[in-house]
Amino acid sequence: MGPLQSQVLLPERIAGLLGLSGTAGQIVGGLLGAFIIANLLLVQTAVAGPWAKRKITAAFTDRIAVNRVGPFGLFVIVADAVRLLSKELVIPDGVDRPAYDLGPLLVPFSALLGFAVIPMGNGIHLADPETGLVFAFAASSIASLGLVMMGYASNNKYSLLGGLRAIASNIAYEIPLIITAASVIIFTGSLQMSEIVAQQAEPLLTLGGVAIPQWFAFVNPFAFALFVVANLAEVGRNPFDVPEAPTEIVAGYQTEYSSVYFVLIYLGEFIHIFLGGALAATLFLGGPAGPVLPGFIWFTIKIWAFYLFTQWARSAVPRIRVDQFLDVGWKGMLVLSFANLVLTAVIVGVIA
Amino acid sequence: MSLEEPTPDDGVVEALPTGGDEIADLLGDLVVGREEHMNAPGFVIRPDDVQETLRRLRDEAGFDHLSCVTAEEREDRYESIYHLTSFDDRQREASVVVPTPKDDPASQTAEPVFRTADWHEREAYDLIGIDYEGHPDLRRILLPDTWQGHPLSQNYDKDRPQIVTLKEWENPLADDHREEEGDTMYVNIGPHHPATHGVLHVKTVLDGEQVVDVDPDIGYLHRCEEQMCQSKTYRHQIMPYPDRWDYASSGLLNEWAYARAAEDLNDIDVPEYAQVIRTLGAELCRIASHMLAVGTFALDVYGDFTAIFMYAMRDREKVQNVLEELTGQRMMFNYFRLGGVVWDLPEPREDFFEMIRDFLDDLPEALEEYHDLITSNEILQSRTIDTGVLPPEVAKSYGATGPVARGSGIDYDLRRDDPYGYYDELEWDVVTEDGCDNFSRLLVRLREVEESAKIIEQCVDLLEDWPEDERTIQSNVPRTLRPDDDTEIYRGVEAAKGELGIYIRADGTEKPGRFKIRSPCFSNLQTLPEMSNGEYIPDMVASLGSLDIVLGEVDR
Repeated sequence: MGPLQSQVLLPERIAGLLGLSGTAGQIVGGLLGAFIIANLLLVQTAVAGPWAKRKITAAFTDRIAVNRVGPFGLFVIVADAVRLLSKELVIPDGVDRPAYDLGPLLVPFSALLGFAVIPMGNGIHLADPETGLVFAFAASSIASLGLVMMGYASNNKYSLLGGLRAIASNIAYEIPLIITAASVIIFTGSLQMSEIVAQQAEPLLTLGGVAIPQWFAFVNPFAFALFVVANLAEVGRNPFDVPEAPTEIVAGYQTEYSSVYFVLIYLGEFIHIFLGGALAATLFLGGPAGPVLPGFIWFTIKIWAFYLFTQWARSAVPRIRVDQFLDVGWKGMLVLSFANLVLTAVIVGVIA
Repeated sequence: MSLEEPTPDDGVVEALPTGGDEIADLLGDLVVGREEHMNAPGFVIRPDDVQETLRRLRDEAGFDHLSCVTAEEREDRYESIYHLTSFDDRQREASVVVPTPKDDPASQTAEPVFRTADWHEREAYDLIGIDYEGHPDLRRILLPDTWQGHPLSQNYDKDRPQIVTLKEWENPLADDHREEEGDTMYVNIGPHHPATHGVLHVKTVLDGEQVVDVDPDIGYLHRCEEQMCQSKTYRHQIMPYPDRWDYASSGLLNEWAYARAAEDLNDIDVPEYAQVIRTLGAELCRIASHMLAVGTFALDVYGDFTAIFMYAMRDREKVQNVLEELTGQRMMFNYFRLGGVVWDLPEPREDFFEMIRDFLDDLPEALEEYHDLITSNEILQSRTIDTGVLPPEVAKSYGATGPVARGSGIDYDLRRDDPYGYYDELEWDVVTEDGCDNFSRLLVRLREVEESAKIIEQCVDLLEDWPEDERTIQSNVPRTLRPDDDTEIYRGVEAAKGELGIYIRADGTEKPGRFKIRSPCFSNLQTLPEMSNGEYIPDMVASLGSLDIVLGEVDR
C-alpha cells in the first residue's frame, strides 16, 4: 500500500512550486488549490450529469441513451451545456428577490465548500483543520438554507411544498447522519480528516498474508449502512425523493427555475451526491486508500460507486410517502443511530 | 367458470321483475307511456318522478347500475334517457325516458339516487341544455363556463361569437385565497402536471400535505366526437373515430363498441371467423392498455426514471408489433368493419402465429419480473395497500366499471355477463380482488393480462385450424345502411377501462340521429374525490394513476 496521505497540503505544495512563502504563498496557494479542486469536481459533475446519469439509468431500464454526439455520446455534455445556458431565464412575477437568486447559488457552493476538508489522495487536500468533519457537515447543511430560500421565494405553491418538505427531510435525516458519524469519532478520537483516514490504514486482521485494513465499514457495518441510508435522504434520491417528487409536486423547490439557475441547482445536487460519497468514503472506506492504484483514483472510484448506488435506487425503488418518510427518519433512523452510538461507546469503552 | 351464467341465489333474482310488463306493474302510475328500445323496454315518466322511479327500480327491481344518461333534443321535446342495468345480471336492462317540453326543459335530477348522474347530467346540461332541478352542482363540464349556447341542441348557432373569454370572466392571475385566515391552500394540479396523464385539471384544496377536497375539471380534450359521429354515415365513416377515444392502445376495443351497437341496430351478422379475429385483436389491445396502465402507475408511485415503466413499455411494444402486423397501424387501427374485419390475418399466417406465440411464451417471465419489481416490493405495498379505498357500494353508485370495479370486488365483466364476440366459447376467468385499494386495482390489471393471454392463445389455436374455405372475414352488408326511424339501441362492450357503451338513435337516414358515448373513464374519474379526500397528496396521485384514465375518452 502506497503512502496514503502526504503530510503536505495542496496550498503549501503549490506555494512551494511557485517559490512563494508567507502570507502571499498561503493566499495564492489556497486560491489555486481551491481552483483545482473545484474544477476536478465540476468536471466530474459534468460527466455525471448530462452523460453518466443518462447512461446509468438507461442501463437499468433497458435503453441505450445518448450515443450520437462523439464517442459513446460523450460530447453531449458540451451540447447540453450550450443548450441549457442558452435557454431563456424565466423569472416569474412576484418572486422574492434576492432570495430567489441566492438560493441556486448556495446549493452548489455549499457542497464545494465541504470538499475543502476532504482528503482526496495524492496530496489533493485543501485544508486539514482539527474540526474537519464538523466543518464538512456544517458546510453541506448550508444547502438546506438555499432550498428553503428557493421554495419560499419562488411564489409558487409547489415550490413552497417542496421547500417545506426539504427542511423536514434535512432535519429528520441530518441528525441520524451526524450521530452515526459521531460513532466513528468514538473510534478515532479526532475530528481531523487526515487522522480519521490514517487510523483506518491500520490492519484489522490478516487473511492469508493479505492485511485487511480497519476501514470502519468493516469494523461497524451497521453504522455504514445507516450512514448510507441517511445520506440517500440527504441527497434526495429514491426512496427518499420526497422533496422533489416530480409526479406529486412537479419539481418541488426547483419548479420555477430555468436556464442557468436550473443548471446551478442540478450542479449542486450532483456535487452533493459526490460530497455524500466522499464523506462515506472518508469515514468508512479508508478515504483514498486502496491497493495498486493511486489514492486519487481510488477516491474517485469510491465516490462514483456511491453515485451509481443513488442512480440504482432511483431506478428501482419506489418513493415513500411524506408521512412515512418522516416516520422512517424520526422513529427509525434516529433511534437506530443513537443505539449505534451508545453501543459503540460502550464497546469501545470496555475494550479500551 | 366463465362460461356459466352467474348463478342466481335460489330464486332471489328470479323474483325480480325482468319483462317490460312486470317492471311497468312495479312502477304503476309512474309510467305514462311505453317505448321499446332494441336493448331494453323503455318507460316514459313525468319529469318530476325521476328520483322516485329510479329509486324503486334500484331497490325493488335490482337495477343498481346507472350505466349512462343520454340527453337529446327531438322535434317536439327534450328527452333524458337513463340506461339502467344490473351489476349482477348485465342482460337485464331498462330505459327510463324523461321527456321535457321544449319551452321549459327541466326535469328532476337523479343524483341523490345514483351519484354517477352528477357528471352525466352536467354533460347533458352542457351539451343539450336540459335543466336538472335539485342537481347539487349544475355547471358546464366539458365546455368552458362562459360558453354561449348548448352545441347539441337544435337551435344552436355555431356562428355566434363566444364573446366572453375565460380571461375576462375569471382573472387567472387573481388571488385565489379563499379567506384571509384560512388553514387550507388551493392548488391547481394540472392541466399540465406530470401526474395527470393528459390534460386534466384537478382543483385541489390542501390542508398541509393532506387533501381536503378535489374537483376534477375536464373538457380540455373535448373534440365533439359525438357530434362528428352524428354527421357521418354508419357504413364506413364512423369506424375511424372510436380509435381516437381511448387512444392508449385500446383502439380495437373501442371499435368493437361501435361495431356491436351498429350491427345490432342494423341486424348484421358477423361470421364466426371474424369474431375470433376480433377477439384476438381486442385482447391484444387490452394487454397493451394494461401494460401502459401498470407502467404509468409505477411512474406515479416511483417517480421519474423508473425501470418498471420502461419494462412495461418494452412489453407493450411487442403487442404493438403484433397489432401492426394485423392491422397495418400502431395506434389508429381502423380494422373493424360492420359485419366483420377489413382483411384476413397477414400472410404467411404461420409467421404471424409464431410471432404471437413468441410473445405469449415470454409473457409469464415478464409478468414475474413485474411482480418482483412492483407487487412484491414492500415500499410499494406500504404506499398502495389501504390507500385510495373505494368500497363496492360507492363504486356501484358512481357507475365504476372495469378494473376499478373489479378491484373493489364487483364481479362484473361484459365479456362474460353480456357475451359478445367469441368470448363465451373460450376458457377464461373474470379477475376480482376485494381489497378496494390502489394495490387491488394494480393487481387486477396484472392478472387480467394473464387472462387475456389465455384468450389469445385459444384464439390462435382456433385460427390455425380454421378450414381454408370457411375463412369469411365479412358478412354481406348493404352499401348504405338506413335503419328504421326511431329505433334506439344502447350496447356496451368491456373495453380496457370498463364498460364502453354506445347509444344510437336512428332517424331513418344513413346517419345517426343521436350518437352517445358512455365512456368508462368518465364514470371512473368521478370516484376520485371519494378515494382521495383526507388522504395525502401522493396517495391522491396514486389513486388517479390507479383509475387509469385516458383524457381522450373522458372528454371525447
